[in-house]
Amino acid sequence: MHELGILNAMVHTIEDIVREEGAGEVEKIVLEVGQLSGIVPGYLEECWPAARYKTSMETTELEIRVVPGMVKCRACGRIFNAVEYDMKCPGCAGQDMEILSGNDLIIQEILCT
Amino acid sequence: MDTFRTIEVKRSIFDNNDRQAGELRQRLKKEKVFLLNLMSSPGAGKTTTLTRTIEALSNELKIGVMEADIDSDVDARSIEKTGVKVIQLHTGGMCHLDADMTRQGLEAMGTENIDLAVLENVGNLVCPAEFDTGAVKNVMILSVPEGDDKPLKYPLMFSVCDVVLINKVDVLPYFDFDLEKCKEYINKRNPRALVFAISAKTGEGVEEWADWLRREVAQWQKD
Repeated sequence: MHELGILNAMVHTIEDIVREEGAGEVEKIVLEVGQLSGIVPGYLEECWPAARYKTSMETTELEIRVVPGMVKCRACGRIFNAVEYDMKCPGCAGQDMEILSGNDLIIQEILCT
Repeated sequence: MDTFRTIEVKRSIFDNNDRQAGELRQRLKKEKVFLLNLMSSPGAGKTTTLTRTIEALSNELKIGVMEADIDSDVDARSIEKTGVKVIQLHTGGMCHLDADMTRQGLEAMGTENIDLAVLENVGNLVCPAEFDTGAVKNVMILSVPEGDDKPLKYPLMFSVCDVVLINKVDVLPYFDFDLEKCKEYINKRNPRALVFAISAKTGEGVEEWADWLRREVAQWQKD
C-alpha cells in the first residue's frame, strides 16, 4: 500500500503543475527514485495502473530512473554505494554515514500537450 | 497530431501535500489549536499513552482526538471513556494520513474551543513519516519489546520526530533493551529529538512528558 500512497501524492502534485503551466494531457512522467528513499521501483510500476485509475492521467506513462544511494563514511571518509555494501563502510565497517544522493523522490519532468 | 512539450519540474512528489500541510498549520495557528501527530508501530501503546496524557491534561486543556485506522473503532471507544471529544477516521486501506485527510478529520471533529488536537496516526513506522500532516509537533512511541535498534532500521521516522517516547519501561528487566544505546541511536538520527522514558501502564515518566506538551501548547497559543 505504501507505493500506492506515494503515487497518489505524486498525482496531486502533477495536477498542481498542470494547472500552473496551463498544460493539457500528460503523456509521460519521468520520476527519479532514490535507492535510499525506501521505495521499490518495481512496486511503483506495478501500482501505477491502479494509482492513475479514474484520475486525469489514465493513459499516462510512468518512466522511473533510479538514483544511486551514495554515502560518505563519517569515520574514514570513504564514498560508496550504501545498497551495494549493505549500509556498512567497505573500508572500516563503520555504520555512521552521511547521505550524498538517492534519498529523494523527484518528479524530474513531464511530457504533455 | 498533438505537439508535445516537456516541462522541467524537479519537484518532490510530496510538494502538493507539503503545501497543504503548511496551509493547515497556518490556519491552526490562527485558531490557536495545537495539532499533535502521534505515530508508532502497531501495539507500541499509542492509545494507552494517549489515555494517560489526557488524564494528566484534561483539567486544563480542551482536548480532541482523531483516531486513524484502516478499519474498526476500538481505539475511539477506548478514548471516549476519558470524556474528551473523539472521532474515528478510516483511511480506506491507506497506511498513513496526509494533510488533506487530516484537514477533513479536523473539520469533521470540529476545532472550536479545542486547545490540543491529537491525531493518532495509523500504526506504521514507514509511511506516516513521509507525509507531513500539518501537525505542529510529531511524536513517536517506541516500546521496549520492539528493540533498541529501531532507530537504525527506520531512520526516516526518527528523523522527523520532535519527541520519542520510549514506552513500557516497566518491562525493561525482561528484555535485552539498552536504554542508553537506544538514546544514542536516536541522537545519531536526529540530534534535536527529545527522549522521554515512560510507562503508560504504571504512569512512570508521564508527568515529564505531559509537562513538555503543556508548555508547547501554551507557546503555540501565545500571540
